[in-house]
Amino acid sequence: MRRGLISYSKAEMPDAILEARIARVRAAMCVAGLDKLLLYTNNTRPAGVSWLTGFVPYWSEALLVLCRHSAPVLVAALSYRVKAWIEATSRIAEVMHSPRIGFAAAEMIAASKADAAVGIPDLDGLPAGVFDDLRKGGPRLVLSDATALFAALRPPADPTEIALATKAAAIAQRALAQGLPRANLGEIIAAVEAQARGDGAEEIYVAAAPDLRRDRRLRRIEGDTALGETFALRASVAYKGTWIRVLRTLTRDGTVIPQAAAAARLASAVAQLPSAHGFAGFSSWLVEGCRIAQPLEPLMGSRVGTLHQLAPGALVSVQAGLEIEGAPLLIGAPALIGNHGEAASLLVQPF
Amino acid sequence: MLARERQRRLLGAMADAGIEHVVLYGNAWQGDYLRYATNFGILEGHGIAVLSCDGAIELFLDSATEAERAESEAPENKINFAADIARAVAARLDRAANRRLAAAPRRFLPSWLADNARGFVLEDATALLDRLLLHKLPAEIAALRRAAQMADDAYAVFREAVRPGRRQYEIVADIEAYLRRQGCPDNFMIIGSGGTDVLGMTPPSERRILPGDLVTTELTPAVEGYFAQICRTLVVGRATAAQRRAFDVFREALAAGIAAVRPGATAADVARAENDVFRKYGLGDYTTSKWTRVRGHGLGLFCDSKPHLLEDVDTPLTPGMALIVHPNTYHPEVGYIVLGDAVVVTQKGAEVLCRTPRELFEVAA
Repeated sequence: MRRGLISYSKAEMPDAILEARIARVRAAMCVAGLDKLLLYTNNTRPAGVSWLTGFVPYWSEALLVLCRHSAPVLVAALSYRVKAWIEATSRIAEVMHSPRIGFAAAEMIAASKADAAVGIPDLDGLPAGVFDDLRKGGPRLVLSDATALFAALRPPADPTEIALATKAAAIAQRALAQGLPRANLGEIIAAVEAQARGDGAEEIYVAAAPDLRRDRRLRRIEGDTALGETFALRASVAYKGTWIRVLRTLTRDGTVIPQAAAAARLASAVAQLPSAHGFAGFSSWLVEGCRIAQPLEPLMGSRVGTLHQLAPGALVSVQAGLEIEGAPLLIGAPALIGNHGEAASLLVQPF
Repeated sequence: MLARERQRRLLGAMADAGIEHVVLYGNAWQGDYLRYATNFGILEGHGIAVLSCDGAIELFLDSATEAERAESEAPENKINFAADIARAVAARLDRAANRRLAAAPRRFLPSWLADNARGFVLEDATALLDRLLLHKLPAEIAALRRAAQMADDAYAVFREAVRPGRRQYEIVADIEAYLRRQGCPDNFMIIGSGGTDVLGMTPPSERRILPGDLVTTELTPAVEGYFAQICRTLVVGRATAAQRRAFDVFREALAAGIAAVRPGATAADVARAENDVFRKYGLGDYTTSKWTRVRGHGLGLFCDSKPHLLEDVDTPLTPGMALIVHPNTYHPEVGYIVLGDAVVVTQKGAEVLCRTPRELFEVAA
């Protein structure tokens, strides 16, 4: 559940940008012959709806009904008492409240056209209860998967999305800079979270590899954990619906480690994306980004192969492991995939 | 140890029901069913576990970052990264298609996986899991006690953090930092501040605290995945006579609700006991869904567990259940007020876990 700042800023998310995104979706709906597009959101899959409206549910779930001509309608399981909060933190003209969002959305659509063609991004992943209720609320609606349609619309990232990602990365960098010197890992994570949340992060997840020489895997810390000489911290930060990760290696006693060399190797590898060749000398690497609704979906990497082609102009987050002078390092930062022949580049320095 | 106890109990329930494989879904919003079997607290993407009657668990995750975390945090499970998690789980279940399979919570499963067109049939095991989630083991209650202590301590930090001029999200940042410092990785928290203009609590906003504000919070830290909650209200400055009068109604309602918690009573009995106090003072309208969501709810691996304390929920209370009793609602004279304590149902009635006094606290204006 989100417990950071959720707010809406017309300066950071101008009306014209949201209008332009909705116009792109509507144009694609017309080409595909869709009467409506239905987008599901909850606090783990918020990115599709927040991209179009700014709305991020702190918990619970909702469906955004996008029409070809009229304003989008949000059908929310959150109660009527939260209506004012939804309206204050997003750009949504109409909010309906129902504990059965699938049934209510389908009834509403069917009332205007019983056999409407309804596209649903990630139809296969829609919660079964919502899907069943769509069938009950609109038995003659023609439901189809609109994953490819929607995924093709997001890239290239527009200036607003890039600015939000850059702000999120700056929050993560400032937060990770609070890491030392501290008495223990709990103190370090507390300082990182305090900084990020105080800087207005919508959410932050901190993961740590407490002793890199023993184990390079990053995990959430509960209770006391011994800190090794070298450790890594990852900050996954959301700012106004946009998620990024920054990953950094630190030493307990402040010993200098070859961060600059690692960052240079990462930048060089990222510059070759979407080719994976630049990561040949890394022990592990992962590129994540948003296609539909999951903010950081795995796209390609040493463990996952190539799941999805990186789109020109797309925002991604890159994590990698490598060894320099025999020492293990983890490093990561958000990046922008090149467009119009440009090389991909990191949005911020990862140290 | 606790995770193993839970798993043994689940395997026993599966054996009693004749179920050979159970499929458990979780995400960061509602991860309790998944955590019960796997002891993994999911944060991103979908997670689906397949628990076999021989005790083997395969955990499928569609986030590579989460899969790595699960390998480190919950190594007793066989971890599978699967970009298309529904089809990966289906391929696993196809190997057991002639066995008796069930899923919980079935309504959250990816629709493709739950479709009857698959080569297997998934019965709904939600009620079976709900029984286990409702009725806690002693070790689960022990974790809840520690979480309640954490909630008390964090509320003391909250009282220090609230000062005129501070923004709501800065106050929440203080609480989250405090909890991380104590080694507590998770918390659910909402907040409200103001007067009669405030109808409820939400995630923190940029609103600054003002003298005279009523500041409400629902604070819910987790220990070993178990969430315990405390609800309190404070005033910035001296409380007015109207605020004190209003708060007394909530204090009486909370006491009445807690007194109604005993084996044999129902969730409805507790809600009715709380609401009767409001009705006695002519405030019955403010116990309806227009003004309040629930009059409390279960606590456990999900911060909003069953049963919801409402006058139409007939779930019987039995020893080992954990609840938050909170008559939170709007008061027409002063605004939204919250007051609630975590309790455990025992043979003798309610054991109150929260130790923070049931006061309308005052902080310096």
